[in-house]
Amino acid sequence: MTARTHIRGRPGLWVGLFFASAGVIIALRLSGAIEEPVGFILLALSMGLMIPFNKAMKNSACTYSEAMDVYNRRMMVCSIGYVLGLGIAIVLWRNYELADWTVFALTLLPILPTFGMIWAMARYLKEESDEYLRHKSMMASLAALGFVLALGIFWGFLEMFGLVPHIWAWWVLPAWAIGLAGAQLWQKVRGA
Amino acid sequence: MKNRLKVLRAERDWSQQDLADRLEVSRQSVNAIETGRYDPSLPLAFKIADVFGTQIEDIFQRD
Repeated sequence: MTARTHIRGRPGLWVGLFFASAGVIIALRLSGAIEEPVGFILLALSMGLMIPFNKAMKNSACTYSEAMDVYNRRMMVCSIGYVLGLGIAIVLWRNYELADWTVFALTLLPILPTFGMIWAMARYLKEESDEYLRHKSMMASLAALGFVLALGIFWGFLEMFGLVPHIWAWWVLPAWAIGLAGAQLWQKVRGA
Repeated sequence: MKNRLKVLRAERDWSQQDLADRLEVSRQSVNAIETGRYDPSLPLAFKIADVFGTQIEDIFQRD
């Protein structure tokens, strides 16, 4: 798999549209204009904007390898699965009396796509043939891991002494993603 | 580690993208190696030497 630097495409437009649509959907849900299941379905549909984003990335000035393309497609499928799975699980759990084993099965609906995301990250590092891009991704991943560990320890002790509320452990993945984005931004600023 | 990539490229009138295509890596990678921000692996260093038809030690030197 080789990486090329292209000169056209506007991926920022599609990312902007995605965040704008997600913002509108969340606002509609919070105002009560739409029901919870509708919100989840609309959010999953808005993730379809990642398809033109992926195409725009291929034609943009950014370096975009084939492995990155495959990674983004895998992440998009997992993200749509996650939103739909979470939506179905929450709606069923809130509205029906379910046996424990059924609740366990329901929890797998958002869990499995999340595991898919972790698998996609691992496959990217395996499949990226450009060693410099792989090196940058690994450094950003390590920085993100450091961020999660630091945040977890910091928050954990504050929580133990009753200074902050409890947060669920699954927040490690969003926190890791924030750390990854921050590290990649830092690499860009540093010209790496 | 110092390198003579830029000089060798200029001698052949190659752009960074030309060299990247020959090495099957991104232009970003060539730029990072050329500016000393990234030291290539031994396999990539051999490939660079092959592309320029020379020895690794003629391209890369210790600081």
